[in-house]
Amino acid sequence: MRISGFLTVALIPAFLLAGGAVKDFSQQVPKQVRDWKASGPDAVYDRKTLFDYMDGGAEVYLAYAFREVFVRKYADADGNELVLDIYDMGSPAEAFGMFSVDRQDPDAGIGQGSEYGLGLLRFWRGRYFVSVTVSGNEEKAELAVLELGKAVAPLVGPDGAPPDMLELLPAAGQQAEKTAYFHSPIHLANRYYVASENILNLDATTDCLFAEYRAEGAGTARLLVVRYPDPAKAGAAAASFRKSFLPRADADGAALTESQAWSLIRTRGRVLAAVFEASSKEYAGRLAEAVLREPQ
Amino acid sequence: MTNPMTRRDFMRGAAAAVVGASAVFGQDRVPPVRKTRVVLIRHPEALDAGSAFNETVIQEMLDEAVAKLLDIGDPVEAFRELVKPEDIVGIKTNVWSFLPTPAPVERAIKRRVLDAGVEERNIGLDDHTVRTNPLFVKATALINVRPVRTHYLAGMSGCLKNYIMFAESQPAHHPDSCASLGSLFLLPQVKGKTRLNVLCALTPQFHGRGPHNFSRRYVWNYKGLIVGRDPVAVDSVGLRLIMAKRRLELGPAQEIPPVPKHISLADTKYGIGTADPEKIELVRLGWLDEVLI
Repeated sequence: MRISGFLTVALIPAFLLAGGAVKDFSQQVPKQVRDWKASGPDAVYDRKTLFDYMDGGAEVYLAYAFREVFVRKYADADGNELVLDIYDMGSPAEAFGMFSVDRQDPDAGIGQGSEYGLGLLRFWRGRYFVSVTVSGNEEKAELAVLELGKAVAPLVGPDGAPPDMLELLPAAGQQAEKTAYFHSPIHLANRYYVASENILNLDATTDCLFAEYRAEGAGTARLLVVRYPDPAKAGAAAASFRKSFLPRADADGAALTESQAWSLIRTRGRVLAAVFEASSKEYAGRLAEAVLREPQ
Repeated sequence: MTNPMTRRDFMRGAAAAVVGASAVFGQDRVPPVRKTRVVLIRHPEALDAGSAFNETVIQEMLDEAVAKLLDIGDPVEAFRELVKPEDIVGIKTNVWSFLPTPAPVERAIKRRVLDAGVEERNIGLDDHTVRTNPLFVKATALINVRPVRTHYLAGMSGCLKNYIMFAESQPAHHPDSCASLGSLFLLPQVKGKTRLNVLCALTPQFHGRGPHNFSRRYVWNYKGLIVGRDPVAVDSVGLRLIMAKRRLELGPAQEIPPVPKHISLADTKYGIGTADPEKIELVRLGWLDEVLI
């Protein structure tokens, strides 16, 4: 489908390809979808003003390279409301991350990755992450939500590449829909509680993957991969993690924990691999070694 | 970095570890101490089949809870222990559009404050503008009321987090999982003034998703109120409820909401109340079906 892909790109307005402001979506996004009509003025929030829109929830986006968000509200005659948010996340990798970190519902077939569950559509395409939420009768709004999503998807193209770091993950047994990409301890805490403190020294300079594995015949495990700016920081984080989480780790960096499952930590260069709740020490080691097979 | 409470600590010590138990695992327990009372009251008719609030029942729940909290039989007399006729009373509510403090709860509180003899002109209800609201600036007594729900940063939004509107900068309290929320109760506008905390567990939210961290899927009709004089103890009980529901619905891996450390720190660092379940007397009243805690 190279030709149609080319045509899609060719039809994208120049300002979008050049990184135009999200306010320009105001002219392109449909003003009506089924029974819902645009209500009130559109709004745009940037990194400084996002707190005005979502208060503490802003930190979730600011932990990525979020730039700005376009917001349009729709209302039907019964007072039910749809809210469309189009977030410019700065890059396709960041848009994928924002989508991946909170994924729980079935695929909706929109954009490069999507999900829909009662009153909530989420998808990403290119450097944009999009959500449509419903206040009121979610069942009644479902078709309109999906229709709106399908109308917006062409406006936020072209497609972009997900994080190259995903290539570090071993494919066998990976639950792809449960793989999250992020930077901040905020997102790790929401995905998987490790500790009350930031014992892995995560921050804006770290790239993280959290993945779940269920390999036939091998077992189950959770895998955290962190790429630090340099090997020294990876080493310091591993030492911190060992001290707090695996103080009695064996020579392989592994320990049997309270849940009668194995945890393990290893590093190579600037990459750290931590395995949680592995069904065997051997499987934990195999996952970590697969991640660390190439120097980074 | 303080000593981190890890997932493994949680596995060893269960819920108490996260909500702020003071005993270190493996050590002897501390001697008995006077406990902080928190009342959990539930009623099967607090909401009807359409999830509409029953104001009459809610008033009865509040009355019974406050009477039990203070061991005073008559609820109006109990409220007279909390507020005096000469008080200027600010009711700090919460107007978050997805899950606000239910109006029947606000009205039930105000009704009893009036019954206690406070003049209506000396009673205020506010959320976002409490710092500048003249009544709240002059307030001699505060009543803290809001729903209980999970929060992406703080783990749980409860009575402690409800006072963030008293802060000069709200984002200043966001770092480190909102660890500093307890300090809000030491602000001059607030310190020593909170007479009652009502954590609405009528329709709690146990998980959050989407741009505003809200989805109706994760709200359930628990039909309860958690009432106490100590906001830390009230939130500690609220957190246990949220964790119990998360374990039930989301599984053990997601039992702990994201780092609700501000509750234990409100006790151990800011000294404004008691987080340790061992030091909290939880009194359960009313309907006990699926009480969870």
